[in-house]
Amino acid sequence: MNSMRIVMGAAMAAMLTFPALAQNPRPDQARYRDIFKELVETDTTLSSGSCTLAAEKMAARLRSAGYPESDLHLIVTPANPKEGSLVAVLPGSDTRAKPVLLLAHLDVVEAKREDWSRDPFTFIEEDGYFYGRGTADDKAQTAIWVDMLMRFKREGFKPRRTLKMALTCGEEGAPFNGARYLMTEHRALIDAEFAINEGGWGRIDEKGRRIYLGINAGEKTPVNYRLEVTNAGGHSMRPVKDNAIYRLSAALLKIGAHDFPVQTTDASLGFFAKMGPELGGEIGAAMTAFAKNPKDMQAAAVIATDPAYNAMLRTTCVATLLDAGHANNALPQRAAANVNCRIFPGGGIEQVAATLSELIGDADVKVTAAKGRNAGGAAPPLTEAVMKPIVAAAARRWPDVPVVPMLEIGATDASYLTPAGITTYGFTGIFFEPDGSRLHGLNERVRVDAVYDGRDLITEVVRDYIK
Amino acid sequence: MRAFAGAALSAILVLPAAAQTRPDQVKFREIYKELVETNTTLSSGSCTLAAQRMGARLKAAGFPDRDLHYFAVPENPKEGGLVAIYPGSDPQAKAVLMLAHVDVVEARREDWTRDPFTLIEQGGFFYGRGTADMKGQAAIWVDMLIRFKQEKYVPRRTLKLALTCGEETSDAFNGAKWLAQNRRPLIDAGIALNEGGGGRLDPSGKRLLLTIQAGEKHFQNYRLEVTNIGGHSSRPTPNNAIYRLAQGLTRISAYQFPVTTNEATRAFFAAMGPQVGGKMGAAMTAFAKNSTDAQAAATLATDPSHNAILRTTCVATLLEAGHANNALPQRARANINCRIFPGTSVEQVRLKLAQLVADPQVKVTTLEKRNDVAKPPPLTPEVMGPIKAAAAKIWPGVPVAPVMLAGATDATFLNPVGIPTYGITGIFGEQDGNGAHGLNERIRVRSLYEGRDFLTEVVKTYANQP
Repeated sequence: MNSMRIVMGAAMAAMLTFPALAQNPRPDQARYRDIFKELVETDTTLSSGSCTLAAEKMAARLRSAGYPESDLHLIVTPANPKEGSLVAVLPGSDTRAKPVLLLAHLDVVEAKREDWSRDPFTFIEEDGYFYGRGTADDKAQTAIWVDMLMRFKREGFKPRRTLKMALTCGEEGAPFNGARYLMTEHRALIDAEFAINEGGWGRIDEKGRRIYLGINAGEKTPVNYRLEVTNAGGHSMRPVKDNAIYRLSAALLKIGAHDFPVQTTDASLGFFAKMGPELGGEIGAAMTAFAKNPKDMQAAAVIATDPAYNAMLRTTCVATLLDAGHANNALPQRAAANVNCRIFPGGGIEQVAATLSELIGDADVKVTAAKGRNAGGAAPPLTEAVMKPIVAAAARRWPDVPVVPMLEIGATDASYLTPAGITTYGFTGIFFEPDGSRLHGLNERVRVDAVYDGRDLITEVVRDYIK
Repeated sequence: MRAFAGAALSAILVLPAAAQTRPDQVKFREIYKELVETNTTLSSGSCTLAAQRMGARLKAAGFPDRDLHYFAVPENPKEGGLVAIYPGSDPQAKAVLMLAHVDVVEARREDWTRDPFTLIEQGGFFYGRGTADMKGQAAIWVDMLIRFKQEKYVPRRTLKLALTCGEETSDAFNGAKWLAQNRRPLIDAGIALNEGGGGRLDPSGKRLLLTIQAGEKHFQNYRLEVTNIGGHSSRPTPNNAIYRLAQGLTRISAYQFPVTTNEATRAFFAAMGPQVGGKMGAAMTAFAKNSTDAQAAATLATDPSHNAILRTTCVATLLEAGHANNALPQRARANINCRIFPGTSVEQVRLKLAQLVADPQVKVTTLEKRNDVAKPPPLTPEVMGPIKAAAAKIWPGVPVAPVMLAGATDATFLNPVGIPTYGITGIFGEQDGNGAHGLNERIRVRSLYEGRDFLTEVVKTYANQP
């Protein structure tokens, strides 16, 4: 995923203890592991890797499992030859039933060998963990999708609904985004009633106890706004009152002092309702109160004292970059800041720009939104059709672990799909430890048993969706 | 850099209608054009190339190679310069040094109305980066030596020309500093003529006053810096490096340092008062008589140019913060450029800035000191006489006054090593400062041509002195 995730704040009540580490993998797990290994060992960083190569390798596996060429679509644009995508289709029997789309991204965040303890592009299993760049974000899930499609084909499973899989490139912040490209250029190919994507991981505590299983329903939209003041400048020996840096400073202080209004979605209310009792204390009580009455601003104010929970309450905007002036002895002719906003589902890019301009109250401070993601999508509803298979499959395995809806405060490729009409949920069934599996960081890893269990769970869920 | 006149002023002389460009001016204009169109910014230009081009012109005019001394240090190959020697007849007489820097402040094409590196003459002005600061005077010096050589003029005192680099960038290689420290005998002189000073015009183009610069404020950069643990921008926290910095800058912007004076500034205001007239003129006269007249000082301070010689000034000139658009900033910093009134120390100003910011998380540090505080050179009759005579001839009735420069020039490197350096240009500038260092820098065509005539006269007089 492109961004950080909700980090649980306080210590939580014990749920279930993780079983002892698994023995040798089952034969089907060994076959899955082989796909996972191939993916991790195919460098897909923007700087030196190739998503196209990874897509070709996955296509070859699907071909060997019986997929005809007509159901495999390798999509590569001439301008970005290494940033290709793969779309595969397992046709369903009922042409009127809308398909289900499995989405994952092939690309990974950069990783420098010298910074890591192990080679980031060698798949290493050690002490119950898979290590390597992409093991958690997002190649475990990518391999699950490929493995699932191969198994369904080999089993001769004929689903009622068509199952589609899209493996894309550029999710981690490249200028070319494969999910966006597919949505705009190959919409019919990937069209679906809903999509399952990364996000919504489960959480295990330090002792290996499962705390909750998350499902992302909706995410905030990251939008960068540029604030810019221009000025005639002049020589710095002769300061004048009208100074671009000072005007920009005044504008930033107004933005820094502003809190956007409190908002809710199904997922955020569901999250606070489930987490309140788990967390307890003042903040837990505030969550419970707020989930019952979203107009309780006193409760919202308590929740907002924690930056992670505050981010689930409202649109946030924060200055992240400054750049002004051209010489240390000249009055600045230009002063600019980047303000990074995370727009609450349903909010508009222009609406936030207008709010920023109004707050600043200085027509000479120009506010412009950078081109990027779509915004304006409402949070997807947590329908029975989507939730029931998940809750049922989870209950069979872990009856005491709650399924918690979540509002993603970062961003995934869901932000290209949901607003354009393919409602996208984040669900993997994979549990992460409190370190977040070191997503984007050094020595990224994921628990071996969590991957195998997640694979079993999500395979049941998808089977349920398309039956 | 230059000093500037302030508010609306009473008429002295109206500039005559545009005259035909004389043939000698056409030749000068060629040199000027070549200099302006040679990019000499630190980022992408080459002073060495400009120096070579000027050297080639001097050689073509008859300068032998032994009198052309190119210099550059290996670490800064593009920041070289040239010293040219024009021998005088009296080996006992001390030389006259003509100093000019050929580097210019950065200029971005997209910010300017016209290409900053094309000399454009339009509506009575030359436009381009360096037209005012200071390729006009650099071209005047080169042109003057070429003419002297062609005229077979033999001065009594040796004339020297130093074209240097790095004046506009405080932490760059500075050619004048290098010469003063490493080639002191080569540039030794009894007097050096440099940028600074100049004529002042009112908005209608009337000449008000010719100033001679002796002494200047001290140039000093300070850094404001805030560090923070940062984090992901999807989770903003209350403690933010950019906001703390913005708060500090806002506090600095609201402050004015106390009013300070010296002999040169009082003399300047005394000379200007009657010329300016009106409320501003009265304030100047009153302030020159009684520098504790706070009301007069407040009136003077309404004009940024006058304010700059009334007190120490500090202004934010650069900002830099953050490392990614989706990460909370781990570092935010600003450059504060101060111009310190002689008599105040660098540390006093730093302490004041820290006190204003009033936030221990905002560190205020003094950046590298470019030079020692220079003592103002004496304004003797030998120095002032030729200036007053030439000015009276070309601009009768226009008063001549000493000034302290609000800015800093390379004089700060020469004065401390015993080469008395004065800002003498005879070039009349606009009220807005000609866009020097800013956008659309320009200079009045006639001001440049007149300055050239004035400087030729002044240099010849100095050159004939014993």
